[in-house]
Amino acid sequence: MRVLLLIGFLWFSSLLQAQDTCTYSIQGIVTDESGSPLAGASVLIANTRQGEATDLAGRFNLTQLCKGSYTLTVQYLSYKTAEQKVVLEASTTITITLQPEEIVLQEVLVAGHTEVVSRTSNSISLHARELNELKGKSLGETLQNINGVNSIQSGPAIFKPVIHGVHSQRILILNNGIRQEGQQWGAEHAPEIDPFVANNLTVIKDAGAIKYGTDALGGVIVVTPAELPMDEKIGGELHLIGNSNGRAGTVSGLLEGGIKNLKGWGWRVQGTLRKAGDTQTPDYVLSNTGFRERNYSVSAGYHTGNKGFEVFYSHFNTTIGILRGSVSSSSEDLALAMKRDVPQYTTDFTYRISEPRQEVTHNLVKLNGHIRKDKNVFNVQYGLQINNRKEFDVRRGTLTEKAALAYNLFTHTLDAEWESTLSDTHNRCIGINGMVQDNNKIDGTQTLPFIPNFRNYSGGIFWIEKINRTKISYDFGLRYDYRYYQVAGFNFQNRLYKTQFGFGNVTATAGVNMKLSAPFTFTSNVGSAWRPPNVAELYSLGTHQSAAAIEYGLLLNEITSQVMEMKGSGIKAEHALKWVNTLKFAEKRWQGEVTGYVNYIFNYIYLKPRGITEAGRGPFAYFRYTQTDASFLGLDASIQYEIASGFSIRPGASLLRAKDEAQNDYLIFIPSNRYDVSFRYEKKPGRGHHGFFTQLRVKHIAKQTRAPRVVSPEEILQARQQGVDLFEQDARNFDFMAAPEGYWLVGFSTGLSVPVKRSKLDFRLSADNLANARYREYTNRMRYFANDAGRNISVGVNLSF
Amino acid sequence: MKFSFKVFSLVLLAGGVLMFSGCDKDPEPENIPEMITRVVLTFTPAGAAPIVAEANDPDGDGPQDIEIEPIVLNANTDYTLTIQLYNGLYEPTDPEYNITEEVEEEGDEHQFFFGWSAGLFTSPTGTGNIGAAGTVNYADEDAGGLPIGLTTTWTTGTATSDKSFRVILKHQPDIKSVTSTSADGESDLDVTFPISIN
Repeated sequence: MRVLLLIGFLWFSSLLQAQDTCTYSIQGIVTDESGSPLAGASVLIANTRQGEATDLAGRFNLTQLCKGSYTLTVQYLSYKTAEQKVVLEASTTITITLQPEEIVLQEVLVAGHTEVVSRTSNSISLHARELNELKGKSLGETLQNINGVNSIQSGPAIFKPVIHGVHSQRILILNNGIRQEGQQWGAEHAPEIDPFVANNLTVIKDAGAIKYGTDALGGVIVVTPAELPMDEKIGGELHLIGNSNGRAGTVSGLLEGGIKNLKGWGWRVQGTLRKAGDTQTPDYVLSNTGFRERNYSVSAGYHTGNKGFEVFYSHFNTTIGILRGSVSSSSEDLALAMKRDVPQYTTDFTYRISEPRQEVTHNLVKLNGHIRKDKNVFNVQYGLQINNRKEFDVRRGTLTEKAALAYNLFTHTLDAEWESTLSDTHNRCIGINGMVQDNNKIDGTQTLPFIPNFRNYSGGIFWIEKINRTKISYDFGLRYDYRYYQVAGFNFQNRLYKTQFGFGNVTATAGVNMKLSAPFTFTSNVGSAWRPPNVAELYSLGTHQSAAAIEYGLLLNEITSQVMEMKGSGIKAEHALKWVNTLKFAEKRWQGEVTGYVNYIFNYIYLKPRGITEAGRGPFAYFRYTQTDASFLGLDASIQYEIASGFSIRPGASLLRAKDEAQNDYLIFIPSNRYDVSFRYEKKPGRGHHGFFTQLRVKHIAKQTRAPRVVSPEEILQARQQGVDLFEQDARNFDFMAAPEGYWLVGFSTGLSVPVKRSKLDFRLSADNLANARYREYTNRMRYFANDAGRNISVGVNLSF
Repeated sequence: MKFSFKVFSLVLLAGGVLMFSGCDKDPEPENIPEMITRVVLTFTPAGAAPIVAEANDPDGDGPQDIEIEPIVLNANTDYTLTIQLYNGLYEPTDPEYNITEEVEEEGDEHQFFFGWSAGLFTSPTGTGNIGAAGTVNYADEDAGGLPIGLTTTWTTGTATSDKSFRVILKHQPDIKSVTSTSADGESDLDVTFPISIN
């Protein structure tokens, strides 16, 4: 009780003091005594975990800082550690010059040896501090806090990230430097990553990840863990989070340190447990929507100033329930399910997860090393990913115990690159990537395999030039990729088919970053990217979990129902041309950025409703993967204004218009326009506490008015009875149900940090959907059957030591 | 320097070895017991040749529609209807091919329901027991004495054409009872045959 009173008192007293928002930045450059930039120097804010390594031009940028005085510690091998005091009144730029050290340093620090985010790219990051406020949410849900990023949801626990309207195979996720490779072909397959691993999440909104290969048509999500520690002292974190909705709990812990008498070695272990029961809407329980998650990772590494290596292993395991009432075995069942006010099979709250459900395990092993020699850095990394996915459906009798869909996906990646500094302003990076992937069904599902077994061999080579001048930076990148597939699957007659084919193409990007007259910065990037059609898009066959429809791949002949050869099929790779422009400004009280983009995707592959097939169980709507040309035009804007010391207002908007250009039609599941405004009060660290904030956020998600026409399952069945083929006369896209109305959500959060001896305790209290609004989200596939989640109160405690 | 080259070559070697391991065996086909691709209705009159109508859907959930033959019966005749079910994903020699016996054995969780255009039959009268409370002359029963419907009896009325005859097989594990109807359980089969009476 006394502790509570103390917290309450601190909370209250902190309200009475003068405040500041934490929106300032310290930019700078680290040089040697001759003025040459030092790449890979570590810049840390003393007494915090915040910091970064300088880029090849010796630059760093520490953002999201409050007013106040800071001590920066700058370390670089063979140089004396420098400490610089900065009194931060407004965003500032400093130069730190390091003096050479005569003797070898006792402590060595990690050099940032893979520069993922270029200065000329349009990107937004969630840093450690913002991530702390979002702890306990899944990766996809966390990323929704970035303007321009949404998700395709399948119920309350499955969030698949969407960047500027595109998703799945069109987004590249870099997990700790490795291309994330899971069974990403399904809209209800969320990325298999524990967000607690990350201390930084960055979304690059440009097309074309020149260093990492194909697929980045919409953008790149970069998940970065903190650098391994190098000092002997053991540090760590413990997070405890509880949610009222779903009665969910999260425990996550981290321990890290160096090794005594082994200079340069560092290690970290980390683990997360999450458990949730059925989510609740304002009026009823969403039965079978709980989940369980068990993740851990271990890493160790050795670094000296000019070389280093690291080993990283992570394990991700989840079981996720899917709304029981979303199951339907024919169009007639679907029509009935959509009409119910409360989904069928709704029962009391439970933690039990039955069918349908997903059980997914993802393992990642990563080995990487780098050598710095003169002005060159060589990096090499190998990654092995083993992804195991099982989906359990409602089936007959004892078949329920068997997964209806089960695959093992093995992915090996090997990347090597050579970065060289040609002059003070000119850098070059050349590299190669290789990938071998094996997808095998796990025998015994007693169903037709939904996607075939396959092996793919991919290889790529890239070349990047960067010019960094004071006022302007450019970069150009070019890469070539080739992917070869060997496929072996079963057709509708359960007969084996085998085939192989390859795709090759070029990716190119060009970007520029200009410092305009203060306080404006302008970034513009044009990227082209491509991806070969995915095996699921080519060969899918059958019904998919809770999809209530049959899906057919591009290579399935609708007349003969046989699988066609790629050669002569007319199927092309997807190509995107994306142009993204960002204007940023930062003044004492004003800060903001506006991003405008256009993305034109040629041969865009999507599931198009094609008609009705009459099977033994009755009529079924069927969808076929089809190619068209699609355009995505949009704007993300956010502005922050400090009304008074500590009080800020932050309005934001994310607008998007997507179109099926070839057919002059709309695409389905495109996020609607959304607007939000936050009011935030923040207090810089002071006597007795390490900071306090409280925030109110109001979001408005508009109705999607640019949605395809509606054809309900009932209309389909009626037309069928009258012998009319609705889709022969009108080939336009359609949706089973009209887009739901727009809605408002109110969220509240507040947090307080207090020092406890040499550790820090953070308390957090937040509420989502505070008004307990009844709503359905257009991009949630559950919207056909049920309302979205109601109010959730979340309480969190975080101990850092 | 030597050390780092060792690490480098180790990473490359590990990568190389793992990348090119793996096997190239063909995948094994699955047994797919939950599929009915062929339905045969046999109407046998007393002392005359049986009349047969089939429905075929060799590609199951594939894009091809089920092909359904019309039923053509004679007026004012008594018929015994027997139903045969097949899974065409198996060879005819395979015991899994004929599903009829399986349905019979698991009779306590299966029942056929019938629906037809008014006036087709003088016995049973009405329009059937799909979404309605009509009677059907079941001529078989499961271990618990409840009807299955693999064998039924019918008496046709006068000549008529362009009518329909719908057959639904419901799987009703643990829920089949005296009161269970065509709305309970899941459909294993739902086929509507065109029918006419000469």
